[in-house]
Amino acid sequence: MTRRYVGERVARNEDRRLLTGRAMFVDDVQLPGMLHVAFLRSDHAHALLRGVDVSAALERPGVVAVFTADDLGDYWQPGPLLVPPPPVEGIVFHEATQVPLAKDKVRHVGEPVAMVVAESRYVAEDALADIVVDYEPLDAVVDLEAALAPDAPLVHERFGTNMAAFVAQRHGDYDRARAAADMVISRRFLYDRGAAAAMENRVVAAQWDPLAEDLTVWDTTQAPIPIRNGLARMLGLMESQVRVVAPFVGGGFGPKIMMFYPEEVLVPWAAMRLGRPVKWTEDRQENFFATSQERGQVHDAEMALTRDGRILGVRDFFLHDCGAYDPYGLTIPINSQCTLLGPYDVPHYYSEFRAVFTNKTIVTPVRGAGRQHGVFVMERLLDIAARELGLDPVEIRRRNYLSPELFPHNFDILYQDFAPLYYDSGNYLPALETATEMIGYEGFREEQRRLREEGRYVGVGVVSYIEGTGIGPYEGARVTVDPSGRVRVATGLGTQGQGHYTAFAQIVAEALDVDVERVSVVTGDTREFGWGTGTFASRGAVVAGSACHAAAVAVRGKILAMAARVLGAAEEQIDLADGRVSVRGIPERFMTLGELARHANPLRGAVKPGTEPGLEATAYFGPDHGSTASGVHAMIVEVDPETAMVEILRYVVVHDCGRLINPQLVEGQVQGGVAHGIGNSFYEKLHFDESGQLLNASFMDYLLPTAMDVPRVEMAHMETPAPMNPLGLKGVGEAGAIPAGAAFAQAVEDALSGYGLEITEIPLSPSQLFELLQVARAASPQIQETAG
Amino acid sequence: MIVEGEYTFSGPRDVVWELLQDPEVLSKAMPGAARLALVGDGAYEGSIRVGVGPVTAAEWKLAVTLQDRDPPAHYVMQVDSKGPIGFTRGSASVDLAETDGGCTLMRYRADLQVGGKVAGIGQRLIDQVAKMMTHRGLDALSNELRARLAEEA
Repeated sequence: MTRRYVGERVARNEDRRLLTGRAMFVDDVQLPGMLHVAFLRSDHAHALLRGVDVSAALERPGVVAVFTADDLGDYWQPGPLLVPPPPVEGIVFHEATQVPLAKDKVRHVGEPVAMVVAESRYVAEDALADIVVDYEPLDAVVDLEAALAPDAPLVHERFGTNMAAFVAQRHGDYDRARAAADMVISRRFLYDRGAAAAMENRVVAAQWDPLAEDLTVWDTTQAPIPIRNGLARMLGLMESQVRVVAPFVGGGFGPKIMMFYPEEVLVPWAAMRLGRPVKWTEDRQENFFATSQERGQVHDAEMALTRDGRILGVRDFFLHDCGAYDPYGLTIPINSQCTLLGPYDVPHYYSEFRAVFTNKTIVTPVRGAGRQHGVFVMERLLDIAARELGLDPVEIRRRNYLSPELFPHNFDILYQDFAPLYYDSGNYLPALETATEMIGYEGFREEQRRLREEGRYVGVGVVSYIEGTGIGPYEGARVTVDPSGRVRVATGLGTQGQGHYTAFAQIVAEALDVDVERVSVVTGDTREFGWGTGTFASRGAVVAGSACHAAAVAVRGKILAMAARVLGAAEEQIDLADGRVSVRGIPERFMTLGELARHANPLRGAVKPGTEPGLEATAYFGPDHGSTASGVHAMIVEVDPETAMVEILRYVVVHDCGRLINPQLVEGQVQGGVAHGIGNSFYEKLHFDESGQLLNASFMDYLLPTAMDVPRVEMAHMETPAPMNPLGLKGVGEAGAIPAGAAFAQAVEDALSGYGLEITEIPLSPSQLFELLQVARAASPQIQETAG
Repeated sequence: MIVEGEYTFSGPRDVVWELLQDPEVLSKAMPGAARLALVGDGAYEGSIRVGVGPVTAAEWKLAVTLQDRDPPAHYVMQVDSKGPIGFTRGSASVDLAETDGGCTLMRYRADLQVGGKVAGIGQRLIDQVAKMMTHRGLDALSNELRARLAEEA
């Protein structure tokens, strides 16, 4: 092979379309006769639905139809349970999935109650005001602990409790570890809820073709194939009669895989029923109520250690907020439970959680999917332990890493893929050493002292994390050499900005030795490729990338066999390079791949038994286990103790996602993830009042970090290849977001050393930090801020 | 949301009490071309027009019921309003006391729940808007009182 693409900084080949405004998004779908939808959503977090009177709305000119739950007949069904509960002994799981339109009761603000279909969105929105809903308000369940009180109002009466699930997992014997410990640290940690805030909201458009008898659905989903399969089942169609297209999508981050949102179920149904194309575009306000969210957990955790800072065991009890329904099963709290162990050698672990129904928007994975909670709890416990033991926070981590000879490493607890938590590979210490060197850890203390004398409060935070990525079940890809000589790759994933078009093209271009510009990738169209699951769990590059590689290798075999026949030489004598095949040593006996593809599809003569026409192959990849990515984040912050504002001065990430396909894409993922993590740490928090009303449902009040708040991340890559796939890949989509909160908390505490404050809650806001500072000042009146 | 405060009317308590029961007077004290009608003993229905900050003004259906009436000293007002941008519900207790110089001191405390779009978007402004509406309403009542006393004189 002469061409090297895997590992190279190939420019993103999708950017030309994106930057010139020629990339198609779902809202670009405009069809003749198209109708538009608006949803009437509950204003109440918890109320009985006594009646919905739509008669006035139906009379409004331009309104075509108004549907309530009763109009759906048998089509009204609770959505599917996406992930069944894991086979853990003693598990309790109460399944309550979301419904297309509320019937009898509403369970969160924003739950759809009625659907208006009209000639324009304007008319549809106006008609919402014509609908009269008779609610009987009920007390709302908001706080997790209060939700489990015996007299709490019930989100789902049939369970007799708001507990959605109970799972206990153990590794070793924590009680024994605790009895042998020199020190036990125990604390309560809170992680609160935020929005994913993708740039593009959700959009669904659908068209039924009565002549072809097929349904086309354009959807901003991260999982077009499961959407197709589910819609076919619900609508009584064959899967081949339904085509789901997820074109360019402006950010997924997890919530766009919450199959099936009510709108996804209703828009295609309405298009079939009304015989006209129908579209719904979520507005930003709806997004705050109707698109899934994440991160509410309360942890009561403790760590048992030896005098010299070795972890003997960890115990954690936690509550997880599911919101009003639990269609995604227990993926998030299981991730929290498993990721807590991090890169550390924890001989004894006990963790139990209760998932809790509340009258809030549904919770499903958002970039990190529960992992940041585990990392936050573990890293904070280590920081507190280090302080109590008089150890340096970097040193306590160094002492507890799993050493390279312990891989593959198995913990006896189940991960989100229901396989035992299995670390395929890892080498943690070099990442720590690189990160501390990059951030200048050694000289920092002196600098810190010098700046403190000038009245400046700077601090450093260094934390580690691992991320289980690249889980099954499988993905597939088809690679075709076109008679033009161009190569086409089709895979079933959806793409939301990750750079799949480039990464998969690099893998295939290298395997076939063609110019990467000559490889075009199509994703997210079920008619192009109909097998697979979707883009989630940092698995696209690992699983679909491996499938692309396998299909390209198979096509390479076909190319060599066909070339041997056509050029009249042995297969071993064929060179494949630069988009052409030739006989070794006789360069004038060559053929371009396009010509060869035409030979592979003859108009005369027979295709021999045992061979196939065309230079095309389809392949699948399904790993037994995920692959474990890891890394270290280090940041330096400056805190103004008067205003409690925090500025991040530097941010270093040393990341190991196995073999890199394209460092530039990895760096983009990490930079974006860090921005997301910084938002989670200091800005983004959804405030609910005690009646379940969301109080900051707009970007005026919900703070996203801006370019002013997110520094350019300085990065280094480590490459510990994954043994589970042929290219050695590990995922990177969520990594940047996972440890940011833990690093931020450590750095802010360090900047304010001497105040004796402890950060146990994320997101921290300037006002919360201000309050912590006030408490610290009241407790230690001797604190004197140095004049700046 | 809690809205509470005191207001002094320059007039006798029984006249103030009368005013507070009169739907025509009350409608003048409510924002945005309010309509209010007595539909039963101590029960009123009508509509008001309110916008909050970035939320455009919209018509709210309003139902008010007076309870625990102890003329002319005390009553509790149940409020239930609904509009295309949300709802408000809750109760307000009102106490009237005679003060020196023939004036009347009103103490009020309302505990209101605000929900829907108006809660999500207008939150920063809701408290201020509620206070402003209360003050304007009470000023309007005070003007009405002065007019009525002048008529009587």
